[in-house]
Amino acid sequence: MKLDPHNPILHFALALLTGLVLGLVYSWKLSPVTYVDANPSILRADFKDQYRLAIAASYVSTRDINRARARLDLLGDADPVAELSAQAQRMLAAGETFERVRPIAQLATDLQQGFVSIPFTSTPPASVADTPIAETPFIEEMVATETPFTESTPLFEQTPLAPPPDFTATPRPTLTAVPGPQAPFSLVGQDTICDPTLKDGLLQILLMDGRRRQVAGIKIIVTWANGESHFFTGLKPELGNGYADFLMKEGIAYSVRLEQGGSFVPNIATPTCTDANGASYTGGLLLTFQQP
Amino acid sequence: MQSTWIRILIGIVIGAALGLVYGWVIDPIEYTDVTPGILREDYRADYVLMVAEAFHSEYDSDAAARRLALLGSESPAMIVSATLDYGRINGFTPQETALLQELLSVMQTYSPAAGDTP
Repeated sequence: MKLDPHNPILHFALALLTGLVLGLVYSWKLSPVTYVDANPSILRADFKDQYRLAIAASYVSTRDINRARARLDLLGDADPVAELSAQAQRMLAAGETFERVRPIAQLATDLQQGFVSIPFTSTPPASVADTPIAETPFIEEMVATETPFTESTPLFEQTPLAPPPDFTATPRPTLTAVPGPQAPFSLVGQDTICDPTLKDGLLQILLMDGRRRQVAGIKIIVTWANGESHFFTGLKPELGNGYADFLMKEGIAYSVRLEQGGSFVPNIATPTCTDANGASYTGGLLLTFQQP
Repeated sequence: MQSTWIRILIGIVIGAALGLVYGWVIDPIEYTDVTPGILREDYRADYVLMVAEAFHSEYDSDAAARRLALLGSESPAMIVSATLDYGRINGFTPQETALLQELLSVMQTYSPAAGDTP
């Protein structure tokens, strides 16, 4: 079949096609639709991170979990808690201080547990009431456990007392400890975990407050002969708000302590477990700490 | 001959019209990686309110200015002032207004430290 170059239908079709191409070039390239009323869900990934940071910082101030949740929904994340946790871990990996990461971790934790937890405070709470009574053995124990931790936040505020009129002895500062958000944690459980589905040498750490609620954002320090590792509870909220873990290597002795004080757990190492067939494998440990 | 040119012209016009409708309405370019500068006004206002709420507890004017700078090249004070106007028209609570006013008063006197580019 031969096309007739003088066919008027062909002329029209070619003109239509040319017009269509011109129209598309103009509408897609020369003058595309301009967004002036964008919503946060189409923000670039790094701006979304900044947006989440602002939401978390605002949440720390207002403690309004419903508003924070509604704001996170604007970002269109399939799983806002997982996104917050992932962002917290990205920030830590990038060398951000935990002070900057903390609001994100806190918001993730609170969304996971569904209620507003105790706010973090950068200054020690009033954990101690100064009263004119003699030191008790309990106090001495508290001070003794604090001694090894030179970096820990001071829990006690000492104020010299005025001498009572009838006393001639030199007045001494006295302390009465009241457990608060920063009360030291005690080791309440050290269990060997023989579960072949877990990674070899997995050290799991669980922190709970006095009411057995898991506590997020607590710095844990693991040391061994040639190194030291710092990490925090609550960065894997899917495993628990007070959960943290660390991979131990076989044949190395580790020590575990919490930055804010409490039990010091020296000389822990990977245990050896036996599976159903009698074969040996490297097990893990679960350390459980609790506030009084 | 003249009618041929008229047909071609009509074809081009109709084709261009179809192309424009397709490119602008039916299948416009989708933006996925936009900057906060083109957020809709209510989202901008809420973002500024978040900055004000965070500032109320952090009291860190550098951090607040950095966060506001995401919204564009206007000065932080102008951004907060525009949000205050928006809030007055759109029924922000007195508490929210007070937070914005607190941020505005700080941003009006804010000058970035050397090396900072908020």
